[in-house]
Amino acid sequence: MLRHAVQRIGLAIPVLFGVLLIGFLLMQVVPTDPATVRAGPQATAEVIAEIRAELGLDAPIYVQFGKYLWRLAQGDLGVSIINNVAVTEELGNTIGPTLELMVSALFWSIPLGIFLGTIAAYWRGSLLDKAIMAVSVAGVSVPVFFLGLVLIWFVGFQWQLLPFTGRGGPLWSMDGILAIILPAVTLGGVFIGPVARMTRTAVVDTLSAEHVRTARAKGLPERLVVLRHALRNALIPVITLIGLQIGFLLGGAVVTETIFSWPGVGRLAVGAILSADFPMAQGTIIVLSLGFILVNLAVDLLYAVLDPRVRQA
Amino acid sequence: MSAAAIPAMDKAPRRPTVLRMLMRDTGGAISLFVVILILLLALFAPWLSPRDPYETDLLAIMQPPDGQYWLGTDGQGRDILARMLYGLQVTLFMGLASLVVGGTIGALVGFLAAFYRRVDGLLMRLMDIMLSFPAILFGLALAAIFGPGLTSVIIALSIATVPLMARIVRSSALVVMGLDYIEAARATGMSDTRLILRHLAPNCLSAIFVFSTLRLGQVILLGSALSFLGLGAQPPVAELGAMAAQGRSFLFIAPHISVIPSVGIFVIVLAFNLLGDALRDALDPRLRI
Amino acid sequence: MIKTWRRATLGGLAALGLAITAPLFEAGAQTQPRNQITFMREIDSDRYDPHRSTALAGGEIIQMLSDTLVSMDFDMRTIRPGLAERWEVSPDGKTYTFHLRTNVTFCDGKPFTAEDVVYSINRWIGRTTPRVVSPVAWRAGPVKEIRATGPHTVEYELNEPFGELLPQLSQYFGVMVDRATVERLGDNFGVQGFNGTGPYCWGNWTPRSEFVMTRHPTYRWGPPVLQNQGPAHVERIVWRVIPEAAARVAALQAGQADITQFIPEAFWDTMRRVPTIRSSTQPNYFWDVFLGFKVDKPVVSDPVIRRAAHMAVDRVGLTRAVWSGHALPARNIINPNALDYDAQSDAMVPNHDPAAARRMLDEAGWRMGSDGVRVKDGQRASFLMYGITNLTNQRSAEIIQQGLRQVGIEMRVQMFDATVAWGRLATQEFDAYILSYPYISATDAMSLYWHSRNRPSPNRMNWNDPETDAWLEEARRGTDPARRAEVTALIQRRLAEQAPWLTLARTQLTVFSTQRVDGVRAHGLYGIGVYRGLDLRVVR
Repeated sequence: MLRHAVQRIGLAIPVLFGVLLIGFLLMQVVPTDPATVRAGPQATAEVIAEIRAELGLDAPIYVQFGKYLWRLAQGDLGVSIINNVAVTEELGNTIGPTLELMVSALFWSIPLGIFLGTIAAYWRGSLLDKAIMAVSVAGVSVPVFFLGLVLIWFVGFQWQLLPFTGRGGPLWSMDGILAIILPAVTLGGVFIGPVARMTRTAVVDTLSAEHVRTARAKGLPERLVVLRHALRNALIPVITLIGLQIGFLLGGAVVTETIFSWPGVGRLAVGAILSADFPMAQGTIIVLSLGFILVNLAVDLLYAVLDPRVRQA
Repeated sequence: MSAAAIPAMDKAPRRPTVLRMLMRDTGGAISLFVVILILLLALFAPWLSPRDPYETDLLAIMQPPDGQYWLGTDGQGRDILARMLYGLQVTLFMGLASLVVGGTIGALVGFLAAFYRRVDGLLMRLMDIMLSFPAILFGLALAAIFGPGLTSVIIALSIATVPLMARIVRSSALVVMGLDYIEAARATGMSDTRLILRHLAPNCLSAIFVFSTLRLGQVILLGSALSFLGLGAQPPVAELGAMAAQGRSFLFIAPHISVIPSVGIFVIVLAFNLLGDALRDALDPRLRI
Repeated sequence: MIKTWRRATLGGLAALGLAITAPLFEAGAQTQPRNQITFMREIDSDRYDPHRSTALAGGEIIQMLSDTLVSMDFDMRTIRPGLAERWEVSPDGKTYTFHLRTNVTFCDGKPFTAEDVVYSINRWIGRTTPRVVSPVAWRAGPVKEIRATGPHTVEYELNEPFGELLPQLSQYFGVMVDRATVERLGDNFGVQGFNGTGPYCWGNWTPRSEFVMTRHPTYRWGPPVLQNQGPAHVERIVWRVIPEAAARVAALQAGQADITQFIPEAFWDTMRRVPTIRSSTQPNYFWDVFLGFKVDKPVVSDPVIRRAAHMAVDRVGLTRAVWSGHALPARNIINPNALDYDAQSDAMVPNHDPAAARRMLDEAGWRMGSDGVRVKDGQRASFLMYGITNLTNQRSAEIIQQGLRQVGIEMRVQMFDATVAWGRLATQEFDAYILSYPYISATDAMSLYWHSRNRPSPNRMNWNDPETDAWLEEARRGTDPARRAEVTALIQRRLAEQAPWLTLARTQLTVFSTQRVDGVRAHGLYGIGVYRGLDLRVVR
């Protein structure tokens, strides 16, 4: 168990290094001059030169690079080229909404997905099973933006039931809850499919396992066998697989945030990349990667705790 | 079992069986038909397209589907049908290119890891590290470094495919490696390259095939999402995700501009996913992909 | 097929959605506090410092946070009093004496004096420490010195006459700032706070999301162009950034926000049919979209190519397609409603006529090549165009590209995000570019883009003509209106003849608002929809 944990954490270190490397690359391959970006449309050459000096961009590249490393060590990710706001501050503002969105999406999609997957496994081979599996394949295949646009069109625009113009407020306020429904439905919608499929496979697998067969042989009704024995054991691989699917969720979150003007890290990242705001882009990518690594690590350790085979190893 | 017998036994009867099994499964048959249709449409787009995909008809802006324009026109009065056909080409190219590049490298890594046990640990740790990044982050990072564009997307998706393919190839190659005939072949003095090509590779083909089909769907989904965000194909290039993004501003006036390409992506990805599932059931139901 | 699909979706979602959310939504519908008005806009500004920003997004907010010396009437010509009650101009046109109002205070209650004017203008033109570099310092004119000659009298002395001074001072760059706040906040001025003399005060800013301003309770010095001179009727104004056009349309219809000028033209007709939405359009709005050519680059250096481009692009069709008919197809460089527009030059701009363009190119030796692109002396008629990524530019560029292809000219297009684009547009990498800009008069429009001193940016055409320079300088001095009209007309004709700039469309300004608010009248100075916001009122 401990060895497993150490091994996993050891693996996370090179990953971390990879993240920083990407960060380095980002800062070095700057194709546009940030000074001209700041100067705006009607600036003359002298104005641009003055702004360049002001931003410290006239220093040689290795000096800038050294400064960057030093700042990074102090937890300072730099300042946005475009709006002069500290990257950490901007990240601090946007992480909350992103987590809010992801958790709300998982909050309804995981239970529903597990429920559907279990039903499908229980009546495996039936029409219901086929229907659920068809829906989940469709769910895996649908572009997130399509789902989002359809929801905006019908629920938001045609029926005017729910807002779709960004975060309404904190989650404990009515505005906040209303505003998060459509984005959470969109993001969760594409997550149900994978969860349902994984649950079904896992439950079907455990149904053929020894102790389940014993339980069945003891004359327990199939419903109880599935609920008490199969599902409980199946949950372990499901949890792990969900952890692995966090990347998928992250991709969906970036698109969902963009469609719904959700003020999260994903939208910030896309905006920063499109506007060549390198410090900001770098900051968002580093933070998203770190988050992803942490979740993976947590899932890995959780898996070790839950699964006796790993615990003993 | 002799070394030569296995591939020989495998090759002759398997093809028709797989096809027949695919055809017996309704989903498999339909998806195979749709995939072939999609490939043909993309291949013959220049001949099938009723119009130039870039031609702007200023008298027919955002027209809904009708007799003249079967799928309507977009915000610049361009024929959506023509753009869908050419967009199919771009989207499929994006998917196939990243699959071929990433898949080849991944398969190579997988074979090496399975065959040379000394490098296995190192290679697989490397793959684990790569797996720690979701594809979307590769997409974001490459777009940030090289600037948004189709090339960035293809590179990102290739990189994201490498570790997945490596893992699958390694695990199916390991099964074969444990068999006696490999040792026997080795004993006869067969070179490593030949050994991999003659014995290892054929036995991994079904896994590679199933994975590639499923992965193509995922890659197209991801790539079109990146294009939708503006990080992929740049206008005026017709790419389905980019087309959907361009129509987004007119969603409430002319929903067909976004909806048609989105449905297109959905159908393509669905077809590849269903085909992949059916292929797995036909080839090797025990495959965990 | 769509019908069945819709029915299926309706069935499934309605059952689920209605059951869960309908009661919630009832409760959440009246979310706007009374006496608060919400504006919607597309983008946020990087900061709200009048001397470090040139963006419309900055101006919208800043012009409500503080005041200018003079104000601009809705006709876009007449200058009215602002913080200055009255002013005199010396006979040589070099010295302006402004007599300030005496009852004015900043948001923090500090009285406003002549010293504040001196500091604000000096900061604009880069004469304070630490030095601020305003990209539009030239708009303040060739300043010799700004002097406070009394507690409420300011002398504005120029090195040479500058006929545009008063209109320029009415723009948001000329608002008053408070020295103490500027010095206290340093680099965070306009980021963490402001302190102006305007009808509204800085409340709270969440970048890229929301800006809140509150009423300046003691404000009584509003410009006479508005009905209400203060204090403002509404207590709070919230500016929400909603990047998605479709989302803005829906939010306005659903009453989640009250006012916006950022509704794409494609929606205008639909919006005008909605009974709960009102619109106000400004006829004297000068914001043109154009395609500029670098006159010293191969291919586009040939006036024949440039004239052929004018004839190849169907500007009537373009405005109908891209702006849904809610922009005027342009010919001459200056809007007919703007001061010193020259009608004669309008007729000199080549009209849409692809056949004639092809003939003219043939005659000039541009022979059609096998790939559909003309060639002359081994040079393909192909050029590279840069632009800012937005829907309008993208759509325009694609349509222009097609028009040019019809006559055998190839235009390659490269678009950049707004923030990157300015840098790229300052280079010599491209041959043509698409851009749009606001102006207040012929002199204002032309002195920026056509003086040889302003190469390579903003004179990205690299236009270098001593006669144009001389005329521009004379127009800028502008002491005699008749002479100014004469020389600006000469420039307009020269440009019409040489065709270095293809004006594509003259956009229109329409501000949409819900029935909940009253007093919305489109103004449009520097593109800003609602001027000062003093007349705004919540009516239900």
